Amino acid sequence: MSLDPDLAKLAVDHGLSLGADYVEARLHHILEVGCLLRNSSPEPTILVDSNGLGIRARYKGALAFGASNTLSTQSVKELVEEVVKRAKASIRLVGEPIEFSGEEMGRGSWSAEEKERLEDIGVQTMLKHLRELDDVIKDGFHGVSFTNRLLMIETSVEEKFYVNSDGAELRSRVPRLSISSFINASYNGKNYAITIPAGYSSIGESGGWEVVKRLDPYTFFREEGSNLAKAVKSERKPPSEPVDVVLGPDVVGLVAHESSGHPAEADRILGREAAQAGESYLKKDSLGLKVGSSEAYVSDDPTIPHSMGFYLYDEEGVKARKRRLIEAGVIKEYLHNRATANVFSTKSNAASRSVAYNREPIIRMANTYVEPGDYSFEEMLEGIKLGVYIKSFMEWNIDDVRFNQRYVGLEAYLIERGELKEGVKAPILEVTTPKFWSSLDARGKDIQFRAASCGKGDPMQGAPVWTGGPHIRLRNIRLGAR
Amino acid sequence: MDLEPIASEVLGELVKLGAEDASVIAAQSFERMVRFSNNTISVTKSIKDVVVFAYAALNKRRIMGSTSNPSQNALKEFARRLIESCKILDASPEYAPLPKGPFTYPTHTNYDPKIESCEEGVLEEYVKQIIDQAIKAGGERTAGALTAEASRISIATTGGIRQSDRSTRILLNQRVFVGDASGHGLACSTRLNTFNPLAAAEEAAEYAKKAVNRGPWSEGVYDLILSPTVAADLIQHVGEAASAFAVESGISFLVGRVNEEVACDLLTLVDHGVADGAVNTRIFDDEGVATRDNVIIERGILRTYLHNSSTAKRFNASTTGSAGIIDPHPWNLEVYPGRYSPDEMIKEVKEGFLITNNWYTRFQNLRTGDYSTLPRDATFYIKDGEVKYCVAGLRISDSLPRQLKSISAISKERRWIYWWEVTTPTLAPYLLIKQVNVTKAVG
Repeated sequence: MSLDPDLAKLAVDHGLSLGADYVEARLHHILEVGCLLRNSSPEPTILVDSNGLGIRARYKGALAFGASNTLSTQSVKELVEEVVKRAKASIRLVGEPIEFSGEEMGRGSWSAEEKERLEDIGVQTMLKHLRELDDVIKDGFHGVSFTNRLLMIETSVEEKFYVNSDGAELRSRVPRLSISSFINASYNGKNYAITIPAGYSSIGESGGWEVVKRLDPYTFFREEGSNLAKAVKSERKPPSEPVDVVLGPDVVGLVAHESSGHPAEADRILGREAAQAGESYLKKDSLGLKVGSSEAYVSDDPTIPHSMGFYLYDEEGVKARKRRLIEAGVIKEYLHNRATANVFSTKSNAASRSVAYNREPIIRMANTYVEPGDYSFEEMLEGIKLGVYIKSFMEWNIDDVRFNQRYVGLEAYLIERGELKEGVKAPILEVTTPKFWSSLDARGKDIQFRAASCGKGDPMQGAPVWTGGPHIRLRNIRLGAR
Repeated sequence: MDLEPIASEVLGELVKLGAEDASVIAAQSFERMVRFSNNTISVTKSIKDVVVFAYAALNKRRIMGSTSNPSQNALKEFARRLIESCKILDASPEYAPLPKGPFTYPTHTNYDPKIESCEEGVLEEYVKQIIDQAIKAGGERTAGALTAEASRISIATTGGIRQSDRSTRILLNQRVFVGDASGHGLACSTRLNTFNPLAAAEEAAEYAKKAVNRGPWSEGVYDLILSPTVAADLIQHVGEAASAFAVESGISFLVGRVNEEVACDLLTLVDHGVADGAVNTRIFDDEGVATRDNVIIERGILRTYLHNSSTAKRFNASTTGSAGIIDPHPWNLEVYPGRYSPDEMIKEVKEGFLITNNWYTRFQNLRTGDYSTLPRDATFYIKDGEVKYCVAGLRISDSLPRQLKSISAISKERRWIYWWEVTTPTLAPYLLIKQVNVTKAVG
C-alpha cells in the first residue's frame, strides 16, 4: 500500500487556508493477519486492511479531530472543512485556549528492525506453527488435562505518513507479531480457565517473521504450560499474617504499567480523561513527591529495539526518548504531548500515540518497566523466613485514580527459610500505590517483557505496549485469599 | 455512498474466484463526538468510515477479513487476497454452509434522521446545556462525551440474502465532581425525542453532592444494591458467557448448564437484535440470518447458548441469529423487570451498600466466574434499611454464578446502559444481591 503524501499535504494546506492555526494529517495503514486454532481445528483466518486519513486542526485554541477512509481529493477537502467548522463551533466553550509546546519537528523516515517481511509469510505457515504449539501442550502436564485450547498468532504491519503545519514530515513502518492463548485446564473434576502467557497477555515483539525464532514459543509454551498445570493443582492458602512477597516479572511489569505509568499521564492529571479512563492520584504539582522506597525505579521507553511499543517519533512529530517516571521512590516525570507540556510549561516527551487513522492521538505509554537492580533470585529469597512468591497472575484491577489496586496470583509458591516450597492458591495482593512502592526493597538483575494491549481513549484505543521488569521483593505485606 | 452494490459486487467477485459460500457486509458509519472536561470542550471529533467485511469458504477452507478501502480496484484486490489465502488453508471439519434465505426480518424505529443530519454546533449546544445543568445542580466541574452516530449496513450472501438496515444513536457519558467526590450519569437513545441528557447531568451532580461526606466501613460480606449501570456490567458478562464459542473454548461458567438452574427464579435474560431504544440494533446477523429475541435465562433456567450456523452444527442446535462468523454474541440484552422500587430495595437491606457505578471487571477464572470489580463514583453505606453515608475504596470480589443465584430483588425501573465500560447495550434494572464479599486495599 502506498501512502500518498500529496493527500496529507493537501489536507494541511487546505486547513490552513480555512484559517486554522495548526493542522496535522496522518495517513495510517495497518495490515493485520490473525490465525486461530481451537481444539486443534482452524477457525477462519482473519485478514484486516485498515487504511485512512486522520486530521487534527486547531482554530483559535479549539481542537478538532476528523478521519475518513474515502481518500479522494474532494473527500479529503470536505473532511478538512468539517473539522475546521467543528473547531470553530466549539470555540465559545473552550476554556484556556489549547496551545502546543515549541518542539523541534522530526523529518525523514524511521522503522523497526525487520529481517523477514511479514507480508511474505503465508497464512499456512502461521497455522503450521500454531499446530506445532498445540502439539506441545495438548496432552496437558502433570495429570492436568488441557481440554480446551484456543491458540492465536497475530501479525500487523503499521505504516504511516505524518505531516504537520509546524514542519514535521515523517514516514514510518513497524511490523509486530504476538502469540497468545486461552486454555481450560481440568484436574480432579475442577476447571480453570488460564492463559499462556498468564494474565491475558502475549509474547510478542516488533519485527518481522524472525520474531518467532527470538520468542521460541515452543520452549515457552512447554515450560509455561507445565508450570501453570502445577499451579492449578495448588490448594494451600497463603499465610494470613503479613509476609515478605517476591513478585515475578509478569506481575512487576503490570504494576509498573498500572500504578506508575497511567497515573503519570498528564492528560489524566489535567482531568481530560475523567469520564472514561479516569484521573490520577498525582496532581499538577506532584513532581518530586515521594511515593516509594529508594529502590523504586520505573521508566517508560519507546525506543527499546524489538519492543511492542516501539517508535522513534510520536504522533506529533516529536523525537522519542526514555522517560524516568519514578526515581529512587520520587515522582520524576510525567508523560506529555505538546498540549499538556504547554500547560506544564515544559517540553513534550513524545508520548502522543494513535492506533489507527480514525483515532485521535492521545498520551500513551510505550514500554513501561521497573528498572533492574543487582539481586539474583536466590539472594532475594535469602533471609525470608516465611513469604510468598507470586510468579504470575490472572485477575487484576485498579481504581480510576490509580491508587487502590489488586493482583491475584496464578503460579505462586510458599517461601520458607529462603527456599521455595509448595504451590499457593490464588494469593491476593491488594494494596495502595504508595504502600506497594514503599514496600519494595530489592530488585533482581533479570528483566523480562510481556506484550499487552493498553486501553484508553474515547472512542477506545488498544495500544500495543510492553510491560516488564525484574523480580522484586516487597517486605511485610498482608495477602488475601479467595 | 450506496452500500448495496458494494456488498453485491464483492460477493460476486468472491464467487467468481471460487468461493462456494460467502457473506459480505458493507457498513458505513458517521460518528460525531464532543468531549468535555473541566466544564469546557476539550476536542470535537468527526469520524467517517466505510468498511467491507467478508467471509468466504472454499472446499471447507474458511477465511474472513475486512477492508477500509472501498475503491473498486481495492475491493477486487481484497477479494483476490482472501481467496488466494483461503486456498492454501487446511480444510476445517468445523465448516457449516451458510444459512439459505429467505428470512423474515424484524422492523424497527431506531433510526432518527435528525441524529444523522445534525449540523456542527448542535452537539456543542447540547454540551453547553449539559455543563450548565451539572453546575446548576451543584456540581463543581464535569467531564464527559456526547456522541451522535448514524450507521448504514448492507449484506449480500450466497444464501440468497440481500438486505439493508440503518440505525442511529445518541449517547451521553458524564461525570460530575464536587471536590474529589463524583457522580456518574448516562443517557442512551436511538432517537432525539427520547434523549434526556439533562436528567443524566442532574443525577450525576446529585450523586456527587451526596458523596462528599464519607464514613467508615470494613471488609466483609454485605448485601449489595447494584444500580442499572453496575447490573448491566455484570449481565453483559453473562451474555458473553452464553456464546457457544466461549462455551466450547472452555472460557464460560455456563459450560454444560443448558436447562439447568443458573440464577434465581426472578431472573429472565433475553437478547434482542431489535428492541425499542436498543443502541446496537441489527435486523440480520453476519450470516444474513434474521435476528430474533433469544431467551437466554428464563426464570433462572439457562435455555440456550447463542449460536451462529457453525457452532449450531457442532452443538446439534439451530442458529439463534447471533453470528459473528467466529464468535456468536449478544446484540442488546434485556433483564426483565421485577416488582421493587429502589427505595423498597434499600428497606430490605440490614447492612450493605448501594453501588452506583463500577469499572475494571476482571476474572481470575472465566470457567468458574470468579472475578472482582471496582465501584467508582458515589457508593453508599446502608444500615437497617436506610442510606447512612457515602464510602470509598471498595472492591467487589465474588463469583458471578453465585451472585446470579443470590439475587433477591429486581426493580421495576430499568434503563438502557451503554458506555465505555458496558459495550453490550443492556436494559438493566436495580439488583439486590445477598451476601457479597467486599474487600479493601491495605496501606
